[in-house]
Amino acid sequence: MSAKSEANLKGIPSKPYDLLREGLIVFAFAVVVIVVLAALFGSPDYPSVTAQEVAQKQPVDYLKLVSDYLSGNSDMQTYGPPYTRNPENAQGLFGLAPANILGVTIPIDAQKDFVLKPLEALATISPSVKDALGQFQAAADDQRNAWVKNYTDALDKAEVSGQSVQLAPGDYGPVPVLMNGMLDIARAGFLEGALNSGPNVPYAFDNTKALMFLEGDIQDQVAGKLDMQGGQWGIGHETGNYPGAWWLWPYTFLYQIPAIGNADNADIIVGAIMALFFLVLIFLPLIPVLNRIPYWVKVYRVIWRDWYRDHGKS
Amino acid sequence: MNLTERAQGFIKNNMSMEDALPTRMPVYMSSVVYLFGALTLSALGMLILTGVVLTIFGPGWWHVSGFGHFINSLHFWSSQIFFLGILLHMIGKFFMAAWRGGRWRTWAVGIITLGIAVFSGLTGFILQTNWDSQWVSGQAKDALNAVGIGSLVNTLNSGQMLTLHIVVLPLFVVFFVGIHILIVRHESPVRPIGSEEKDA
Repeated sequence: MSAKSEANLKGIPSKPYDLLREGLIVFAFAVVVIVVLAALFGSPDYPSVTAQEVAQKQPVDYLKLVSDYLSGNSDMQTYGPPYTRNPENAQGLFGLAPANILGVTIPIDAQKDFVLKPLEALATISPSVKDALGQFQAAADDQRNAWVKNYTDALDKAEVSGQSVQLAPGDYGPVPVLMNGMLDIARAGFLEGALNSGPNVPYAFDNTKALMFLEGDIQDQVAGKLDMQGGQWGIGHETGNYPGAWWLWPYTFLYQIPAIGNADNADIIVGAIMALFFLVLIFLPLIPVLNRIPYWVKVYRVIWRDWYRDHGKS
Repeated sequence: MNLTERAQGFIKNNMSMEDALPTRMPVYMSSVVYLFGALTLSALGMLILTGVVLTIFGPGWWHVSGFGHFINSLHFWSSQIFFLGILLHMIGKFFMAAWRGGRWRTWAVGIITLGIAVFSGLTGFILQTNWDSQWVSGQAKDALNAVGIGSLVNTLNSGQMLTLHIVVLPLFVVFFVGIHILIVRHESPVRPIGSEEKDA
């Protein structure tokens, strides 16, 4: 044994032991348990939510999402770092906003990237979309805003007939053509591809824009039905009756506290508390009071009961 | 200075064959609590084995293959047993005050390993490439962005999540688990409370 082990175990009797045998027995036990659990319960595989599915089943919700992006007033338009140059929107705590340190590293312009670029691609094969896009881009900001606002307001009273969304007559300019173009792209199943399109085509390892597109109300609706929203213990859940990432419960628990969960800077508050919690855990052996708990609780008397029985009380 | 000689001396002084592959143990090691570490290691072994199979066929395979889904299920339940093992191991060691005798480093390395494993688990959820991963990646990105990590680790970048999950994070986990075990074997299992004059 090492000198340290010799010193530590001085005066302690030893017994025969077979490390490999014990390890193999425990491994075999673990394998059996895992195989049985996998065979009995499988694993969850709830399909992804796609733009195609939403555009077909909930076209009005889809168009509201697109018109929000087109308006240039979506939350995503001014998210802050690492996506947009809005440092004022980075979450801060005690005057420090860590997201601003590295700034914008994944630039995203929701209006352009989520709507205008896919439409520009569609315009190459659709003269009507090309004309509408030209008219929209040539118009003054006030005019564009008015068209989009009128269209968005009208969506609240839209009627869905078959595959088409009917709006009351109004001053929408070229917006309906653009919106129907976005509806067509999504229904054809091309939207995610258009959003992921970039310098690495045909490779698409980075799905940032496609995954981000449906965030917000639409994903919240799905998550709400599956009990996966932040106020429902969020990402600690899996779909279905699976245990999920229960090891994140201390993290998701903090979001259940209204004062934290409802705060604008909830994420950084939770992040800071978890960082502190982690540091306390690491240095727990050196922290007075905390490192004395085992002596008071005396669970060790059960763990080493054979030793105390044979060698007297501690 | 002969580096090899120094390395030999270091190993001889700190890790004998009886430390590395013990055939005798102190008599106080009789509780089932001592098996939780081995349970965690076994689940880690299963995670690596099933993970290698999933890696060979790619992240989308398990959606289209019944066998692939079963391998994914093994991987999923291995992760559950892995974290359960860590939790039980940690609780056991806490109530044993197993950091006594200068062993606080072992505890600290264990907690660091847990922290890395949590991130590894997160990237695993994101790599399921289904609704769970879609939702978790979106939620996690806000959390990482808020603390300033989102610029470096983009949960919506599936390529980055893949490389982190199958290479970088497992390497760190295995490395720290290795350090953890080496320290444990070098220092011997902690004695029962009260069996030595000075515990601290």
